[in-house]
Amino acid sequence: MFKSLPFIGYWQKTTLSLWLIAAQCFYFADTEIISLDPWNEFRLMVEGFIRPDFFATEYLLEAMWQTVSFALLGVVFGLLWGAPLSLVYSNRFVATLCALTRSIHEIFWALLFLQIFGLSPITGILAIGLPYGATFARVFHDILLQSPKTTVQTLPYGTDKVSRYFYGRISHVLVPIMAYIRYRFECALRSSAVLGFIGMPTLGFYLETAFRQGHYHEGAALLMLFIALIGTISLWCRPRLIAVYFVAALFTLPSIPPVDGALLWRFITQDILPPALQNLSTWSQIDLGVMKSLSNWSLDLLVEQAFPGMIVTLLLALVSLAMAHGIAVAGSGLASSLLTGRFISKVTHACLLVIRSVPEYIFAFIFMMLLGPSMLPAMLALALHNGALIAYLTVRQSDTTQVGPHYNGRIDGYCYDVLPQIYPNLMGLLFYRFEVILRETAIFGILGIASLGFYIDSGFSEIRYSTALFLMGCTALLNIVVDIISRRLLTANTGTQISCARDSATRADR
Amino acid sequence: MRLLHMVCLALLSTLSTSALSAVFTFTAIPDENESQLRTRFEKVALYLEKELGVEVKYVPVKSYSAAVTAFRNNQVQLAWFGGLSGVQARRLVPGSSAVAQGNEDQFFKSYFIAHKSADLIPSDSFPNLNGLTFTFGSKSSTSGRLMPQFFIERNLGKKSEDVFTRIGFSGDHSRTITQVQAGAYQVGAVNYKVWETAVENGTVDLEKVNVIWQSPAYPDYQWTVREGVDKKFGAGFKAKIEAALLGMKDPDLLKSFPRHSFVPAENADYEPIESVAKAIGLID
Repeated sequence: MFKSLPFIGYWQKTTLSLWLIAAQCFYFADTEIISLDPWNEFRLMVEGFIRPDFFATEYLLEAMWQTVSFALLGVVFGLLWGAPLSLVYSNRFVATLCALTRSIHEIFWALLFLQIFGLSPITGILAIGLPYGATFARVFHDILLQSPKTTVQTLPYGTDKVSRYFYGRISHVLVPIMAYIRYRFECALRSSAVLGFIGMPTLGFYLETAFRQGHYHEGAALLMLFIALIGTISLWCRPRLIAVYFVAALFTLPSIPPVDGALLWRFITQDILPPALQNLSTWSQIDLGVMKSLSNWSLDLLVEQAFPGMIVTLLLALVSLAMAHGIAVAGSGLASSLLTGRFISKVTHACLLVIRSVPEYIFAFIFMMLLGPSMLPAMLALALHNGALIAYLTVRQSDTTQVGPHYNGRIDGYCYDVLPQIYPNLMGLLFYRFEVILRETAIFGILGIASLGFYIDSGFSEIRYSTALFLMGCTALLNIVVDIISRRLLTANTGTQISCARDSATRADR
Repeated sequence: MRLLHMVCLALLSTLSTSALSAVFTFTAIPDENESQLRTRFEKVALYLEKELGVEVKYVPVKSYSAAVTAFRNNQVQLAWFGGLSGVQARRLVPGSSAVAQGNEDQFFKSYFIAHKSADLIPSDSFPNLNGLTFTFGSKSSTSGRLMPQFFIERNLGKKSEDVFTRIGFSGDHSRTITQVQAGAYQVGAVNYKVWETAVENGTVDLEKVNVIWQSPAYPDYQWTVREGVDKKFGAGFKAKIEAALLGMKDPDLLKSFPRHSFVPAENADYEPIESVAKAIGLID
C-alpha cells in the first residue's frame, strides 16, 4: 500500500503498519472506561506507598530467599536440560518440542504441576525450568551458530570430538552465554515472584494477598523490596557466590510433600481425559457414540472458550505491542543523554528500572482501579512493562552511538542522527518481545480479562483438567502459529535487515 | 501396552514410599483477612496437636482450588473448605466426610450490593438486574459466585451472561466491595460476614454502596476429613478430630476463621450446594 510513496522507507512502513493494525485492534477491543469514583481507593494506595509497612508481612525474609532460591534452581534445571538440547536443536522435532514448551506461560505450567505435585517446590522449579530450558536450547543454538568455525579447522589432526567441541566452539561463545544466563536469572526472579500469585511461598504470595485485600501499606513495602532485589542483582549475585547460593537453596527448600503414586496415575489416565473418554477401560470401548461426544465436547470448547479467548489474547497483545513501541521510543529518547542531558537521562533511567521491575499484574491492578475492568488496564500494563524494558535495552546502545559534528542536541537532531541508528535494534527487540507479550496475557486472565488465560484458570478452578489442558494446547498452537507468521513476514520482507536487528536484539538482551 | 502400564506403575509407586510419615496436615483459608495466615493458623495447629496427640502441620494455600488439590493428593488430611470446594473435594476423594461447620455456616447468606448510580432500592423481592454490570467474587466461592449465580438465574429466568452487560470475577470479597464502591461494577455479590465486618470497620462508604438484596440461607464453610485417617493415625482418629474441632472454644483461635463456634455437620447438609452447582453447570 506504500508502493506509490517511495520516500517512505522500510522502517517507516513497518512502523505505520504496526500502528494501523493496532488501531484496528483497538477499535474492536473492549476499552471502555468505567469508573465513577476510584479516587478514594487511589488515595489509600498512594498513602500505602508513602508509608510502606515493612513489618506487616510474616516470614518476609523466608519469602525473599525462596524467591531467589526457586529462580536459581529453576534456571539450573533449565540449563541441565536446555543446554544439551541446544546441540541438537537443528532437529525439527526437538525444535517443535521446545517451541511448544516455551509457548506456555510459567503460570500455566505451575497450575498443571500443582495438580500433580501439589504445593511442592518441585512445582515451582519445574514451572520455571521447563520453559526456560526450552528458551536456553534455542538461544544457545542461535549463539553457537554465530560462533566462528575457524578454530575447529586449525586443531591438530586426531583431536577428539569432545575437545574439538569445547575448545573450538564453546570457548568462543562462553562470554555471551554466561551473560545470557545472567539475564535469564533476572527474568526467573520475576517469574518466581509471579508463581507466588498461585500459591508458591515466594514474595508474590504475600504481594498478591496484600493488594487484593487492600493492605496497601504492606503491598507497597513488598513491591519496593522486590524492586530492590532486582535492582541490586549485580551486587549480590557474584559468580563466585552462585555455588554457595545453589547449595543453600537446595538445603533450605520447603519440605517436599509426598506424591501418592496411585493418585498421580489416576490423574494421567483419567482426570486429564475428556469426559467422554473417562471410565473407559480398554481401547475397544471407543465406538461411534464416544467419538461423537468427544467431538461435541471439543467443538463446544472451541466455540465457547478457545476462539473468543484467542481473539481477546491477540487483540490485547497487538495493541500492547504498538503502545509498547510508543513508550520505548519516547522512553529511550528521554533516557538518552545525547538528547536530554545528564540529569534527566539519569532520572529516566531510574524510572525505567522501576517500571520494568514491577510485575505487570500490579500495574494492571492499579489501572483497573482507575479505569475500570475493561482490556485497557491490561494493555497499559503490558505496554508499560515491555516498553520500559525495550527502552532500557535500547538506551545502552544509543549512549555509545557516534553523532556527527552537526549534532545539535535537540529533538530534530536526535531524530536525524541518533534515532535511525538505534531504530532497527529497537524494532528487532520489539518484535522479539511480541512472543513474550502474547504469553504474558496469561496473567491477566487470572485478573479476570477474558483472554485464554481466563478460561484456563476457570478450567483449573472448576477441576476440569481436560478443559484446562485442551485450552493450554490451543494457547501453545496460537503462539507457534503467530511466531511462524511473524517470522515469515519479517524475513520475506527484509531478509538481512531483520536478521541484523534480531542479532543485535539478542545481543542487547544480554 | 500391559508391560508399559506395569513399568509406569512400578515407577510411580516408588514415589509414594515417603507417604508413610505420620504428620497430620491441614489447610484453611478464612473468608476475610488473609494477612498473617501462617502465624494465625499455626496456633490452631498447636491446639490440634495437643488434642490429637500427633504432630500437626498447617499448609498455607492461596485459593480454594489449591486446597482441593492438596486434599485430593493427600497432602492435607483436614481442610476448612467453602461449601462448593468441600463438595468438589468429597467428590474427588470418596469416603471423606464433613465433620464440623461454623455456627454461622448453617444459615449463611450472600448480599447483593449496588453502587448508588445503579438506582436500585433495597427490597425483599429480587431486584431487576437486567442490563447492569455485575461482579462475582472468586470463581469457586460459594457465597461470592455459586449461590448468587443460582439466585440470579432462577429469579430472572435466564443465564447470567444474558442478564448482565458485563460480568467480572473480582477474586475476593473485599475486592468486590472496593470495585462496586469505585463504580467499576454497578452490582456485586458478597459474603454477608465480610460486608458486615467492613461496615463495622468503617471501610465502606454507605453513601456510595449499599446492600440491595439478601439471599435466602444456605449451608457454607465446613471442616472436611479425608478418608483413611483412621487407618493411618489409628482407630477413632476421625472422632477425635471431630471432638477437637467442636471443642475449640478459645476465641483467639476461632477468630482466625472467623466463627463463633463449631457445630456438627455431615455430608448430607451440603446436598443443596451440590445440586445447585450441578444446576448452573459448575460440576457435572
